[in-house]
Amino acid sequence: MSVLEFIANGLVFSSIIVLASIGLSLVYSIADFANFAHGDTMTVGAYAALVTFGAVGTLGGTVLGLPYGFFVALLAGVAVAAVVAVATHKLIYEPVEIGSIGLLITSIGVAFVYRSVIRMGFGADFTEYGIQVLRPIEALLPFGIRMTLHDVAILGSAIVLVSALHFLLQYTDLGRKMRATADNPDLARVSGIRTNRIEIWTWIIGAGLAGAGGAFLGLFNQLSPRMGFDILLVVFAAVILGGIGSVYGAMLGGLLIGMINQTMPLFENFGQYAPLVPEGWGIPIGLEYANAVAFVIMVLVLLARPNGILGDSAT
Amino acid sequence: MVRNDKQSRNRRDVLKLTGVSGVALLAGCVSTTDDEDTTDGGNGGGSDGGDDGGSDGGTDDGSDGDDGGSDGGDTSPYKIGMVDSVSGSLSAFGQRNQRGKDLAIADVNAEGIGGRDLEITVEDSQSEAQAGVSAAQKLVNQDEVPFLIGAVGSSVSLAIYQSVIQGTDVVQLSQNSTSPDLTNFPGLLRMSPTGSVQAGALADLISNDGYDDVAITYINNDYGKGITDSFTEAYDGNVAYEQSHDQGQSSYSNVVSGMANADADAWLFITYQPEFSTMAQEAYSSGYEAQFYGADSAKGPKILENTPEGSLDGMKVVAPSAAIDQDNYKQFASRFEDEHGSEPTAWSAYAYDCVVNAALAIHTANEFTGAALQETVRDVTRPEGEKVSTYAEALEVLGDDGSASDIDYEGVSGPIDFDENGDPVGFLQVFTVQNHEYVSTGTIASE
Repeated sequence: MSVLEFIANGLVFSSIIVLASIGLSLVYSIADFANFAHGDTMTVGAYAALVTFGAVGTLGGTVLGLPYGFFVALLAGVAVAAVVAVATHKLIYEPVEIGSIGLLITSIGVAFVYRSVIRMGFGADFTEYGIQVLRPIEALLPFGIRMTLHDVAILGSAIVLVSALHFLLQYTDLGRKMRATADNPDLARVSGIRTNRIEIWTWIIGAGLAGAGGAFLGLFNQLSPRMGFDILLVVFAAVILGGIGSVYGAMLGGLLIGMINQTMPLFENFGQYAPLVPEGWGIPIGLEYANAVAFVIMVLVLLARPNGILGDSAT
Repeated sequence: MVRNDKQSRNRRDVLKLTGVSGVALLAGCVSTTDDEDTTDGGNGGGSDGGDDGGSDGGTDDGSDGDDGGSDGGDTSPYKIGMVDSVSGSLSAFGQRNQRGKDLAIADVNAEGIGGRDLEITVEDSQSEAQAGVSAAQKLVNQDEVPFLIGAVGSSVSLAIYQSVIQGTDVVQLSQNSTSPDLTNFPGLLRMSPTGSVQAGALADLISNDGYDDVAITYINNDYGKGITDSFTEAYDGNVAYEQSHDQGQSSYSNVVSGMANADADAWLFITYQPEFSTMAQEAYSSGYEAQFYGADSAKGPKILENTPEGSLDGMKVVAPSAAIDQDNYKQFASRFEDEHGSEPTAWSAYAYDCVVNAALAIHTANEFTGAALQETVRDVTRPEGEKVSTYAEALEVLGDDGSASDIDYEGVSGPIDFDENGDPVGFLQVFTVQNHEYVSTGTIASE
């Protein structure tokens, strides 16, 4: 049993949280409210992927243990989540002219609507994509790492998506406009940026990433109407830890929170793994407190840096 | 335009505000599940619509009974309530309960209760205590039912008992709760046998299979804790790992790695179906091999469907069992199969017996109030009376003026015979997973 196993598990779980956190943070920075429907947007993405996967089937070959059909389904999940989010933005968030607190409450209502619709269509039970569950990769076993190809696929896809977003924000025209809008919307508008369009793009990217996160969460765990809501608190912790509104903060926060969640069993035998700590020394704390520990760490970080780790820097 | 004004506000202020409102909201979220419950109640109402159809049919039959001139006068149906896990982690149980309940209603209303029908209002507990309590509150305070069937999860049943039922006359009969804790609340009746019997059986099973070390993970609620405590008390070997986990988490790999870390060859899962499916998958995809054992809640076709072939082979589950050798069960089973195309589980049988038991209690009580039903609900199944195995048979024995102690209802789930703690006598069955199917490999009689 090695620490590496826990870290590997942590990386995979973090990937999903990072995908969800980025979207939440992005929407916060530009649409300017904490979107509580974000978790359920993930659920929408996951179920859209489920339906598409059922329709297109496996499509022959496989990459990383995943049939081609799954990647089509993943794209469909991303697309549907983005469309649903933009439609919600246009139909609900934009017309209701209330402050960010009002929008926040509205988004909770929206979350219930998403979830109830999914429950009406698919029932309250949990379900699976029906993709063969894999055994761990043999080559990594000697190191004590027990990852399947699916885990590698989740991690790899998250890295690709995150890098793509980084590229988009730093090097494209759209990215520059997004950063400008997040920084100072009035100035951005005066300089000729159509902030309305930027806002729509933000929803597309944020919800799309959430949809991908949801599709992967379904693969990693299982699909159920509550899946997105159940992970939302952890995602919020990640976003606030990293500094809400900051995309890079959300990445860092997501990584940290996912890691803490998965490495909880190490706390009990802390002394065996950490240098400079006596062998038998440990923190006796049950796994059921994993989320509580994540939040305690979040609070401690906020005490030192009130705006989160990367809260002060721009998007 | 409005949005612009908002954004020009100081960033830090917004952050503060959102933080504060976030906290308020998290608190809010807890109670918002209640709101959600009302929508689910709507769904529950939908299924009631179906029941109504059934009871309408029943009225026609019941009118024959009217000629016998029982009560006369009031012919409106008797209304009782049921809190069920229509959604949530235990929805598989809830669904089975509904099927059992529907069959029982059809049987009861074919005969009628003194010329009147039985009607059951179903509310969803979402398998969670909070929503369960508000469902029960609605039934008891708003619909004023004197008899409440509910709930599935032990923590839900207990929460309902402690915050809604205790101190009132209302009869609560849980259909599926098995936590040993419920024994400490004599006012809370249940149809399924206590889990301490199950825990003892598991302890014997694991010892007899030759395992001296066991790793246990249990769901963090009354049910999981209760069974685990009884198990560790009964088990002679060494408990190498004992940790709880929360319901509905997004990942349980830390649980599985922790269990593997403990170096025990026998792993015991006292958890619910979705949670167990995730753990079984995680164990499989991490390449861990161990002899799995499970409590009744970690068994179900959904688990087989959602775990890879071969990942569970050899797993042993001890589950409460219906009276599978009795004629009335066989009849129940064949009717169930005709309607739903699959065999009933013990859980449907418990729900069926809950409804029949309620109907008999109402029939023998002198008035339709909680206080009167408290008098009869236990007596109709106690061994003092004449044994009857169906509702129709019971009516025959009771005749026009029979009292509750004249009959001993032997249900499709077993002899029932509530004891002073409100616990029934039941059967247990051992299931082993072979070729990804549950195969019954023995029965244990409970006391």
